[in-house]
Amino acid sequence: MHHQSLAELDDTVLAGRSSDGDVRAFEVLIRRYTPLLRAYARRTLGSTDELDDVVQETFITAWDRLDRLDDHAKVKSWLMRILSRKCLDRIRARRFHDDVTELEVAAAAADAPDRVAEARSREEAAETALAELPEAQRRCWIMKEVLEYSYDDIAAELDLPPSTVRGLLSRARKNMIRLMEGWR
Amino acid sequence: MSDLDALEPDDLDGHSIDELADYLDAGMQPPDPSIDGSPACQNALAAILRVRHASLGSLEAAARDEAPADESWIGGVLANISLESRSGRDVPLRPQSESERPVMTEGAIRSLIRRTGDGVPGVLVARCRLDGDVTELAAPIRVVVEVAIVSGPSIVATADLVRTGVAQALAEQTDLLVEAVDVVVRDLLEPDPDTDTDTDTDTEETR
Repeated sequence: MHHQSLAELDDTVLAGRSSDGDVRAFEVLIRRYTPLLRAYARRTLGSTDELDDVVQETFITAWDRLDRLDDHAKVKSWLMRILSRKCLDRIRARRFHDDVTELEVAAAAADAPDRVAEARSREEAAETALAELPEAQRRCWIMKEVLEYSYDDIAAELDLPPSTVRGLLSRARKNMIRLMEGWR
Repeated sequence: MSDLDALEPDDLDGHSIDELADYLDAGMQPPDPSIDGSPACQNALAAILRVRHASLGSLEAAARDEAPADESWIGGVLANISLESRSGRDVPLRPQSESERPVMTEGAIRSLIRRTGDGVPGVLVARCRLDGDVTELAAPIRVVVEVAIVSGPSIVATADLVRTGVAQALAEQTDLLVEAVDVVVRDLLEPDPDTDTDTDTDTEETR
């Protein structure tokens, strides 16, 4: 009876138990958040065979640092931030000679608004619109709007001047609004 | 074409779209009448909110399309985590002979408290804490056990069972000098409609 009910517990209790060393509680968190973390990693790294590894590393790091998580209710966004750092490390390693944060100027494909407009749900429209953004814009946008990083945190994480981050986010914002306006 | 193709300050009563996003981030505080009173700005603020929510929602939707975590993969993750990193302080036990320095980890003691608390029907332990210098043999300590309890009329009696159970388990299996066991109810759980009260077999005795 008690083993089953662990899965019903909220994040705060599970993170607390995990921090106290309860592997079974941590296992529930792994089950609960692996799909979300995989989806995030897939969006950031593409569909590679690295997804399993990077999510695994995220949980291992999280376990080691659980005592540094001040607010156990925030375990979900905390896991996403750990993962986002690991993904950036992979991207850096993958293309060390490439500038990870290159300023892309390519405009969205001409038929992008049509494809967004044809989406069956608002979520699918956003997914399509995001895929149209140049990579640096998309990365900044996700860090700002999904992971709730501040401008300064993004700048530090990407090793960019804050003014550049602001510029990228400004363009991402306009692109997203224009692309999403076609969807009703 | 909608108004929102116009996202430059000239179209937004002098405000840039980025100023408007910052205004939202600040909780629209302090109030700016030139934004609050501008239909063009209100329109743009609504559009910013829409794309924000859609971006968050699209990740949740993508997560629903992912397969559940694979069992053998979960096993691999658990095999790779280090139990030592959560084991806490070393807590001395009373030596049986001069040369012995037996210890129990704080993690093992917490685990004992969790097992004992979870063993009380309708209780799940959230966190537990040993307050005091547990690294000193027979130094007085307080134990704080935070629990989630199934809501109902007997919360106080149930908390009492946790208190006495934990005190007894610690007396039997450690040499801690426990001054008090505080049980804090942190959370109420919904009663399980088909509660079967089979007991866990997590109660093996160690001597």
